Amino acid sequence: MKGPDTGQSILPDAGDRTTSLRSNPPTGKTQAKKVLWESLLVAVIGSAFAFAANAISPRGLRLTTDYFPGAIRSSRPETTATPLTPSPGNTNVAVPPPANLLAARLQAKGLQLVESHQVTDLFRDPRFEQEVIVFIDARDDQHYQEGHIPGAYQFNHYRAENYLATVMPVCQTAQQIVVYCTGGDCEDSEFAAIFLRDAGIPKEKLFVYAGGITEWNTNGLPVEVGGRKSGNFRPAKP
Amino acid sequence: MNTEPWSWRRNALNLAAVLARWFLSILFLYMGLNKALHPVEFLKLVREYELVQNPLLLNLIAATLPWFEVFCGLLLVAGVAVRGSALMLLLMLVPFTFVVLQRALAIHAALDIPFCAVKFDCGCGTGEIIICRKLIENGVLILLSGWLLMGRGRHLCARYSLMASE
Repeated sequence: MKGPDTGQSILPDAGDRTTSLRSNPPTGKTQAKKVLWESLLVAVIGSAFAFAANAISPRGLRLTTDYFPGAIRSSRPETTATPLTPSPGNTNVAVPPPANLLAARLQAKGLQLVESHQVTDLFRDPRFEQEVIVFIDARDDQHYQEGHIPGAYQFNHYRAENYLATVMPVCQTAQQIVVYCTGGDCEDSEFAAIFLRDAGIPKEKLFVYAGGITEWNTNGLPVEVGGRKSGNFRPAKP
Repeated sequence: MNTEPWSWRRNALNLAAVLARWFLSILFLYMGLNKALHPVEFLKLVREYELVQNPLLLNLIAATLPWFEVFCGLLLVAGVAVRGSALMLLLMLVPFTFVVLQRALAIHAALDIPFCAVKFDCGCGTGEIIICRKLIENGVLILLSGWLLMGRGRHLCARYSLMASE
């Protein structure tokens, strides 16, 4: 029985004995050196492969982009973790930071927080239809398609280049821009708002709806499914 | 065919080593591709560890680490540079297990819950994990990688070693 790699016996001991008859067996130090060189080679070629794959991939990241502009991190592991409860369907339940802390954080970034009732008022304001008031959904395609605030524009800042051409003119003419994401510990609305601010939208216009689509749903407000102005609405929950 | 008991044992060990190599390779391919196909999600999870603050470094880790895992998985499944790849797996697994443990301890302290009840998405490419199970899994993966590094799993290899003299 032969191994296909070396032509030696499949039994390594027998193979090793054969090798040792031909030459001096390699010492442990030599072997370790060889493995180190080999791993270095793997690391170099693997890194080149990884860079190339990321560059070619349509989903690849841009290395020089700051995807978390203005991020101020503090140790708060509890925001994305959950204790293991007996509930079988338990998934990460976001625990939002206290509203006053969030408001202070947004204020430090020159942004303003809007509460649920204010967002509802803005949504029902006639100026919303005229796009004087604009809603921006900062989530990815899948979540946006699954359901967004009716009439909201999508702006996933991680793929900003795909949305800027549509969103920027709208934001420039609007007087109030409400940016939201999932809610809870989701920070994408903040990052999207900062991205827009840095792109030249006056910060006075930008409002972050921290409750996000989760709170919107909880309040039983209508949700648009599919693309913007698809006309496909999920009715408000009673 | 040799039917002596010691040769059966040796063949079984060889077979186990090849299976271990394939198991590791398929697992790394799966986990690597899961992350590589959802790089933004992985980027957010890497950020949660707060290991690096620099955006360039953060992007570098999130953009290249998953593809590097895929690369090591490909090498192992084909049986190329097995020991070098096994060492790279160890160099990824050991620090990663350490930071996952650190994060789990922080969650355990913050939520005041039993350690084994801690559950979170560690960015491993397998979704949400239960920490105790994850630590055991990683322990097994580390042992298997170490076993390959010691020179096992050399059968059914395209090129076990890249070094000319082997």
